[in-house]
Amino acid sequence: MEKIISIKDVTYTYPESKQPAINNLSLDIYRNEWVSIVGRNGSGKSTLAKLIDGLIESESGTIFVDGQEVNEENIWNIRSKIGIVFQNPDHQFVGATVEDDVAFGLENQGVPRDEMVKEVDDALKMVDMQDYKTRDPQSLSGGQKQRVAIAGVLATKPSIIIMDESTSMLDPNGRKTVLDLVKQLRDQQDMTIISITHDIEETELSERIVVLRSGEVVKEADPKAIYDMGSELTKYGLEEPFSSQVASLLKDGIKLPEGYLNEEELIENIWKLSSKM
Amino acid sequence: MEIIFKNVTHSYEANSPLEGIGLNDVSLAIHDKKFTAIVGKTGSGKSTLVRHINALIKPTSGTIKVGDREITPETNNKNLKSLRKNVGMVFQFPESQLFEDTVEKDIMFGPMNFGMSESDAKESAKKMIKLVGLGEEYLDKSPFDLSGGQMRRVAIAGVLASNPETIILDEPTAGLDPVGRKEIMDLFKNLQKQGRTIILITHNMDDVANYAEEMVVIHDAKVMAVGKPKDIFNDKELLTNDILTLPRSAVFAQKLSKRDFSFPQLPITISELTAEIKQQVHGD
Repeated sequence: MEKIISIKDVTYTYPESKQPAINNLSLDIYRNEWVSIVGRNGSGKSTLAKLIDGLIESESGTIFVDGQEVNEENIWNIRSKIGIVFQNPDHQFVGATVEDDVAFGLENQGVPRDEMVKEVDDALKMVDMQDYKTRDPQSLSGGQKQRVAIAGVLATKPSIIIMDESTSMLDPNGRKTVLDLVKQLRDQQDMTIISITHDIEETELSERIVVLRSGEVVKEADPKAIYDMGSELTKYGLEEPFSSQVASLLKDGIKLPEGYLNEEELIENIWKLSSKM
Repeated sequence: MEIIFKNVTHSYEANSPLEGIGLNDVSLAIHDKKFTAIVGKTGSGKSTLVRHINALIKPTSGTIKVGDREITPETNNKNLKSLRKNVGMVFQFPESQLFEDTVEKDIMFGPMNFGMSESDAKESAKKMIKLVGLGEEYLDKSPFDLSGGQMRRVAIAGVLASNPETIILDEPTAGLDPVGRKEIMDLFKNLQKQGRTIILITHNMDDVANYAEEMVVIHDAKVMAVGKPKDIFNDKELLTNDILTLPRSAVFAQKLSKRDFSFPQLPITISELTAEIKQQVHGD
């Protein structure tokens, strides 16, 4: 597997803060991987994203993105490879129409007009928002806004998308459309996804979960291994997956296999028990 | 305080080409000292509804009674202080409203604005910072040095410091980690047990099932349903029309229904769900 991001021994402390927000952290992320970054509020998740994008500069250690070191010289090159979708859909619109908004990033990169029109159209098609081209972004629902924000990111053709709690403000349907879209992008576009999230169900879609605490990586494993931690997950501010919560309450009275069962597996097991009766 | 909406309509930019309906002929009672959840899709009118309660916006027609105060289209912006002191509102992203240079001053701002003496406000700040799960040592910090979750707690403390009888919460836990979210939700439940009225806007149906006694469903600027969460989540019409989503326990029960289990009423909390499953597996 090819590394697309390589973070080595990085430390960062916010001005006026005594404790480092990121503490001697090392982490590799691979091309086309979907990584979830989880941990309590204040554990360093968003700081890590800012370091990768060069929005803040580490005090020690190195970060490489797609073969280039994050430093003053490479910063614009690196930012063009990374798209960030933020938490609040209302804070990321600049254009008066959906298409203007998607074009904004391209304009900044000096893309010629006719090329731009095509790329905006393509990006809106990818997120299935082409019918809303001339609408005012403020008139859209939360899920639609986040899809337009993702289109704006896609138009600049990044190889990495960082989702910084991008679904946390959405209603359940909006959340689902955004996650379906991200999944499709990962499967079809050779995109690397870094998703910062508090939603344990959302992490099930990813290949690897990285758990941060006080700016350090405390666990790093595939979702199943993380979910096996059971109630220990709450130590890191996480919730147990719903199926684990159900299973642990059922175990007082019903015999279920050990270890993490996803929802389907749990239903299968419960069904077997009841049909034997 | 009983809150009663009577035929309330709210139009945005009335009489202009951009006119839009925020609320359409809403009549509704929100009961004193209850925990009421307000749900509905983004843009359905939930925030517009609650902003009427402390007269942040006024009806285009109709009236809202909050205790013995009446808010009408003619209500002017003077003399609203006593109403706003009694109806505290925590907005989405309340941390964006922090502006003082210390946490203490920020919490003290509201109560002093409502006429509390400086020493009482200081005392209140001390109590509130602990209530929201932060230590007294946070009082001297700048709010801007805190994490997002900590800022949220400070902003909530600021609203509670005025000791409002009614607390309106507009998605107060969005972006908090699950452990923090539970702490904050438990805090609101405790405030209710101490005799306050809680009105919560949320997309999280598990929170509705776990915390609310009453539930209001808003759809297209209208009230679609009012009642106990258990009844509303079992209302087939609301569910088939995609107006409402279900708590996770109810979804799980629906899946089991396809596997020979039967639930005359869908369970809405995890304890109801697991009790039902045990009973059906054991066949008693």
